[in-house]
Amino acid sequence: MVAVRETVETVDKVAGEKYKYGFTTDIESERAPIGLSEDTIRYISAKKEEPQWMLDWRLEAYRRWLTMEEPAWAKVEYPPIDFQSAYYYSAPKQKAKLDSLDQVDPKLLETYKKLGIPLLEQQMLAGVAVDAVFDSVSVVTTFKEKLREVGVIFCPFSEAVREHPELVQKYLGTVVPTTDNYYATLNSAVFSDGSFVYIPPGVRCPMELSTYFRINEAQTGQFERTLIIADKGSYVSYLEGCTAPQRDENQLHAAVVELIAHDDAEIKYSTVQNWFPGDENGKGGIYNFVTKRGDCRGDRSKISWTQVETGSAVTWKYPSCILRGDDSRGEFYSIAISNHYQQVDSGTKMIHLGKNTSSRIISKGIAAGKSSNTYRGLVSVHKKAEGVRNFTQCDSLLIGDQSSAHTVPYIEAKNPTAILEHEATTSKISEDQLFYCMQRGVPAEEAVALIVNGFCRDVLQQLPMEFAVEAQKLVAISLEGSVG
Amino acid sequence: MTDAAKTFVETYERERGSLPASGLVWLSARRDAAMKEFAASGLPHRRLEDWRYTDLARALEKASVVSAPLHKGDVALPDATAINVFGAVDRHVVVFVNGVMQTKISDLPSGVTVVSLSDALSADWAKTLVETRVSDAQAANVTALNLALMRGGLALHLAKGVKLDKPLHLIHLAGDDGASHRRNLVRLDDGAEAVIYESYVSAGATNYFDDVVTNVSLGAEARLTHIKVQDEAAGAVHLATLTAALAAKSYFSSFTMTLGSALSRNQTFVRFDGEGAQAHVNGATALRGRQHGDQFCIVDHAVPSCTSATLYRTVLDDASTGVFQGKVIVRPYAQKTDGRQMSNALLLSRDAAMNAKPELEIYADDVQCAHGSTIGELNREALFYLRSRGIDEQSARQLLISAFLDEAFETVPDDAAREGLRALAADWFRLALKEDA
Repeated sequence: MVAVRETVETVDKVAGEKYKYGFTTDIESERAPIGLSEDTIRYISAKKEEPQWMLDWRLEAYRRWLTMEEPAWAKVEYPPIDFQSAYYYSAPKQKAKLDSLDQVDPKLLETYKKLGIPLLEQQMLAGVAVDAVFDSVSVVTTFKEKLREVGVIFCPFSEAVREHPELVQKYLGTVVPTTDNYYATLNSAVFSDGSFVYIPPGVRCPMELSTYFRINEAQTGQFERTLIIADKGSYVSYLEGCTAPQRDENQLHAAVVELIAHDDAEIKYSTVQNWFPGDENGKGGIYNFVTKRGDCRGDRSKISWTQVETGSAVTWKYPSCILRGDDSRGEFYSIAISNHYQQVDSGTKMIHLGKNTSSRIISKGIAAGKSSNTYRGLVSVHKKAEGVRNFTQCDSLLIGDQSSAHTVPYIEAKNPTAILEHEATTSKISEDQLFYCMQRGVPAEEAVALIVNGFCRDVLQQLPMEFAVEAQKLVAISLEGSVG
Repeated sequence: MTDAAKTFVETYERERGSLPASGLVWLSARRDAAMKEFAASGLPHRRLEDWRYTDLARALEKASVVSAPLHKGDVALPDATAINVFGAVDRHVVVFVNGVMQTKISDLPSGVTVVSLSDALSADWAKTLVETRVSDAQAANVTALNLALMRGGLALHLAKGVKLDKPLHLIHLAGDDGASHRRNLVRLDDGAEAVIYESYVSAGATNYFDDVVTNVSLGAEARLTHIKVQDEAAGAVHLATLTAALAAKSYFSSFTMTLGSALSRNQTFVRFDGEGAQAHVNGATALRGRQHGDQFCIVDHAVPSCTSATLYRTVLDDASTGVFQGKVIVRPYAQKTDGRQMSNALLLSRDAAMNAKPELEIYADDVQCAHGSTIGELNREALFYLRSRGIDEQSARQLLISAFLDEAFETVPDDAAREGLRALAADWFRLALKEDA
C-alpha cells in the first residue's frame, strides 16, 4: 500500500499541472443578444445570410424544442440549465471576407498556435486540412483548393448552405431529425456553424480532414453542426478536437454530427474531446451534450467512431450507427477518462436493420478522483436483419476508492440468426503490475500511465497517427493527479 | 389507473377486515400505507426503466384479478412433472391451494417452526421480515400490493444451529381462477441450514394471477438452498419476488426453472449485510408459443468481501420472448467484492426475441466484477458435426439444447434435484418434438 500512497502523492504534485488550454483570447467579437427566442434565431440566420428554407427549418425546430423536456435518464447530475442566460451566437469580428491566412486576425492565429493546430500553410507537411471553429463561426479552412481538385467539398457549414444548398437540403436532418432529442432539437434551432464534407463517388480523400472547436467567449453556448456525406465507394477520415478556456461557470456545448455513407463508402470519425473539465473541486467546465449518429445507408458501407473523451464536466454522448445497408459495418472505439468531479455517460447504439451487418464496440472507461463513468449502449437487431454479428467489450478501470463505474448495456435480438456477444469487466490497476514496474525503476505515475495506456491500447490503435500520439499524452495528463 | 389496479384497490376495501392477523395494529397500518402507495403509482408498465421489456399492467388486463375463492373440497396432487422432479428425494411435503396451507395432506417437520403465514405474523421475527423494504423503488410497488393483500404462505423459522432434517417441498397449487397474493417468510438463525423446493402448478385453474413474495433472512453462517420450478397454466400471470438479506459468512443459493405461464417475472433482490457471504442466483428458462419470461435480479454488495454469481440460460421457441435484467451494485467501501453475472440465450425460431440488460454499478475500486451476455441460435457447425455422425436432426438439436441448459443446472448444489431438472428439460423438449411432428 506504500506504493499506492506514494503514487497518490507524486501524482497530486503533477496535478498542479493545470488544464493547459485554459487561456482566453482577448479578441473583439460580436454577439447575439443574450437569451433564446425566435428573434435570436432570426438574428443568427440573418448573420449567416441564410436562405428562407434554412430559417424555417430552424424555427420549426425551435417551436418543437419549446414543447420538449430535458432528458433525465442519464447517470449525471447537474443544476438546471438556464437557457436564457447564455449567448447563442458569438463571432470574432471580421472586417471583410478573407482570401488568405495573412488576413486572419493575428490574435486568432496565435490562439490556434497555442493549441498546436497546424493552421498555417507552411505547415503543409502536416498534411491535414483544417476547419477551425472559434466560438460560433468557422474561422478558416485550409487546403480548400487542393481538395477542390479531387472534387471534395470541405467548408464551413454556413458556406455550404449558401453554395451547395441542394446537398445540404438533401441530407440535413436525415440522420438526426430535428425532433430527435432535446439537445439535438436545440442545436437544430440555433446551430451557428460547423463543417460540411462531401466526398464524391469513388474518391479517396487525399488527406485527413480536421475540425478544431474552441469556445472562447464567456457565457456562450456552442452549437455546431457537422454533416459528412461519403458518396458511393469513397473514403474519408475526419478528426475533431475541442478545447475551451478555464472558467468558473458551466458552458453548454450541444453539437450534432450526421454521417451518411453510401454504397461501399467508408467514414472514419475520430474525436479527441478535451473541453475544460472543471477544476479539482468540480467548479466550472463544459456540459457536453452531443448527438452523433452515422447512417450506413448503402450496402457494404462502413462507419467507424473513435473517441478519446478526457474533458467536459458532464458528458452525455452516444455516437451511433444505423446499419441500414446490407453487409454494412459499424464500429465504436472509445476511451472515456474522468477525474475529479467529472461525470461521463457515454456509449453507442448499433441498430442492425440490414442483412449480414456487423458491429464492434470496444469501450474503455477510466474513473479517477470522485468522478462517475458510465457506459450506456444499445445493440438492437431487427426482425429482418439476417446474419447479424456483434461483439461488445466494455472494461472499466477504477482509480481511487471514491470513483464509480457503471455499465448499462441494452441488448435486443429479434432475429435468431444474430450472434451477439457482450462482456464487461471492472477492476482496479493491479498492485502486482504497479509493483513490477516500480521494482524495475519506473516511477509510480509513469507506471500508471503505462498500465492505463496498455488498457486503452485497442482503442488508441484505431486513431490516426497524428492523433494517437497526442491522445496517449492526453491519457497520461488526464490521470496525473488522481492515481491511488 | 388500469381496471386491474382498480380491482385490487376495491378488493382491499372489501376484504380489509377479513385479512389474516387483521387485529395486529402495526400490520393494519402497514397494509393501509402499502395500499395507498400502490394506488398512487398503479401497476408497473413499460415506461418504467425496470419494466422496460415486461408490461405487467397490460398482462393483467386479461387475467382474472379478483381474489381467488377459498378452495372447496379435497385436492388431489396432480401428476405433474414439475412436482415429480423432486419425487426421488426423501422430503417433507407442504401443499398450498390458492395460497392456503393444506395441513391435512402435508407432512410438516416437527421440532421447528413451520406454520402458515397467518399464524406467524404475531411473532417478532415475522414482523421484521414483513417490513423488509426492497431497495429498488420501482419493484417496491409490486411488493406493496402484495403486502396489502397477502393472505396465505409459509413461515419457516429455524433457531440457531438447527438443521432441517429433510428438504422441505412446497407445492403451490392453483385450484381456482383469480388472484392470490401470498407471502413466504424464511428466517434461519445463525448456523441454521435448510433446503427448500418449490413447485408451482395448476390444479384446475386456467386464468389466474399468482403474486408471491418470499422474504429470506439468513443469520451468520446460515445456509439456504432454494430450488423452484414454475410450470403454471398457459393462461396464468406469475409474479415472484424474492428478497434475501445475508449476514456474515452465510450462503444462499437460488435456482429458478421457468417453463409455464403466459407471462412470468422473477425478481430477486439480494443484499449483503455481513462480510464473507456468498450468493448464487441462477436460473433456466424454456418458453414456447407466445410466452413471455422475465428474469430480474439485483445483487447489492453493501459490505466488503462478498461473492455473488448469477447465471441465466434461456431457450426460446416459437414467438416467445425472454428478458434478462440484472444489476450488480457495489457500494462505496464494499472492497474485495467478487461479482459475476451471465446471461445466455438461444433463439430457436424466427419469431422469438430476447432482450438483455446486464448492468454494473460500481462505487468501490478494489473489486472484481464482470458480466456477459450472449444471444444466438444453435451452432450450425455443431449441428452438422452431429448429423455427419448419423444423429438425426431432432436428436442433434435436443442434444445441443440439453447441453446448453445443463450448464445452468450444474449450478444447483443438490444432486437429486439436478437430475430432476434435467428430466424436466427433456420433457419440455419432447413436447416440442411432438408439436413439430
